[in-house]
Amino acid sequence: MDLKLKRGLLFLLGGLLVACAPLPRNPGADDLAHMRILSGVMSGRTVLGGEVYMPGDALIPSGSSLRLRPGTIVYVQPAESTKIDPEYLSSATELLIRGTLWIDGTARHPVRFIPLSRSVAGEPAWAGITLVDSVGSRIDQARIEYAETAILAIGSSPEIRGNQLRNNRYGIIAQQGSFPLISNNVVEHGEAGIFCWLGSSPQLIDNRVADHVEEGIFIDASSRPLLQDNQVTGNDLGLVLYDRRLAGNLSGVSGNREDLRLLTPDREQSP
Amino acid sequence: MRCLVLLTLLLCCWPAGEALADTEYRGEQSLWQDTVWNDRVLVDGILTIPAGVTLEIRPGTEVRFTRRDTNGDGIGENEIFIQGALRVFGTAELPVRFTSAEADPVPGDWGAINMMASEEENLLEHCLVEYGYRGFHAHFANASLKNSIFTRNQRGLQFQESTVVIDGCLIENNFNGMQFRNSKVRLGATRVLNNHWGIRCVYSELAMRDCQVAGNLINGLNLRDSTLDGETLQVTGNRKGVYLQRSRGTLRGSRIRDNSEHGIFLEDSEFLVTGNLIAGNGRSGVRWKDSTGKLRDNLLAGNGEYALVNEGEGPVDARSNWWGTTEAKALGALIRDGADLAGRGLVDAGDFLTVPPSLPLGRSAVNPVADPVEMN
Repeated sequence: MDLKLKRGLLFLLGGLLVACAPLPRNPGADDLAHMRILSGVMSGRTVLGGEVYMPGDALIPSGSSLRLRPGTIVYVQPAESTKIDPEYLSSATELLIRGTLWIDGTARHPVRFIPLSRSVAGEPAWAGITLVDSVGSRIDQARIEYAETAILAIGSSPEIRGNQLRNNRYGIIAQQGSFPLISNNVVEHGEAGIFCWLGSSPQLIDNRVADHVEEGIFIDASSRPLLQDNQVTGNDLGLVLYDRRLAGNLSGVSGNREDLRLLTPDREQSP
Repeated sequence: MRCLVLLTLLLCCWPAGEALADTEYRGEQSLWQDTVWNDRVLVDGILTIPAGVTLEIRPGTEVRFTRRDTNGDGIGENEIFIQGALRVFGTAELPVRFTSAEADPVPGDWGAINMMASEEENLLEHCLVEYGYRGFHAHFANASLKNSIFTRNQRGLQFQESTVVIDGCLIENNFNGMQFRNSKVRLGATRVLNNHWGIRCVYSELAMRDCQVAGNLINGLNLRDSTLDGETLQVTGNRKGVYLQRSRGTLRGSRIRDNSEHGIFLEDSEFLVTGNLIAGNGRSGVRWKDSTGKLRDNLLAGNGEYALVNEGEGPVDARSNWWGTTEAKALGALIRDGADLAGRGLVDAGDFLTVPPSLPLGRSAVNPVADPVEMN
């Protein structure tokens, strides 16, 4: 069986498994009151499963860890209004990891992040997961929606595998010396899919990056990712980068308004 | 016995309120009279300077704070709480240092130089402030910060309902650089470098001259519901450079370059952008969303995907700029607007310049801002 057919069948199988999984119900106030809470500074080792309520920002500090078991559903409370003095990096509700995060979803029992309400006019309902100087993190089989950035890695190199990231403004951002493994993810229906910024070198393997209003994958002049077997389609600009050599084989980059946009490094513009 | 008498006499002659070297304050204490520090001070608790009392700190003083985190939130609580007045007179040769007393210090070891309803003329000059939760924090206060360094704090500076003048300072390598709301802030010859957020404010008036905002990982300069009067700035190498939300103002004679995402991003704002160099920014030089104002006499060239993106439904007045080309097709490719996407407004790029403008870039935009005092 050829590789593409195998991959297609795998996606199909994954989709069927998820479709068969019971859909989370919409919790009421009483339900939320009885759930485990993910919020505030959570020091030490935290392991959560089942239904979890995230009423506000959560920080896993350096040296601490958070594990989310297979099938965990995290109900995220969007900030009632844009916070004036954000505690951490975002004005919206955020999960900030400065320690270690393990999301142990499986194809059959993914870990879901579900905002309890959607904001107006297509604005993100929450910030998403941010990793700053995180060590040893792993995000497997999560379903993340309606976030500003589903996964933002700053100086962090998590393994990001088999996730479905839909309807977020940005899918994944790797920046500032991050070199995450990003494989077998579906990143769809946002403003842009994956960014490699400020000296990051992720491995992007076997991802589907589709249907973004703007870029599928953007690589800035200082980043050096490895791109392999990604399907980039239905975006405005499929692959945007400065160094053509980084694009590798472009066979999976098709069906975008413009499949490849090569940028020219700016020469000093003298007035 | 003679020695005891001499010692008593010496103590009686010591200037009132002047502290001895290695002064220690433990637990919750207040200074009940004007006090001068001039050597080493240890704060192992919360020290209050009540209204009507002035704390003066003289050159070379080192103020250390122990770490006390009673609620386990990772934030140290020991601090100086000022309702009276604070006057810190470091010099270039003998700066004043506010730091952690811990052997292995981390940002957030101590609380803040915390001003509450202190409407005296507070002054911090030639200081190094490090390892605080909020290096400098003010609420309903007036302060002037000069030639000082704020580094390795969770937040370099934060204030609300305050009037703050910051001149010749360096705000570097904090988790977030500077955030404020409902305040009037004047920033001159100050550098805000390598934080996550550089400067973030809401409901404020911000005037900036000769400043550098560079290498910040999220946004360089972000205003929401605020006013910016910016001139001769260098906003470079941030993720977003200048990001205005429901704000207004002007930007003149500045270098906005090499920001990874957008050089300038306007949302629901009113902004006049004149005589700037906007180049080398990754996604776009200027992203314009539902905003009004003008782009005039700028050098908008060498940006990544687009020089100018109109994301809103209204028109954009971008006449009389240099785009790096005079060829119509090439110029069209630099602009993304209603000609490309239904529902978006058009960009008027008419009367374009045929040669690069002579930009009135100021001193700091051409030369780095002079280094503030170096401290060990």
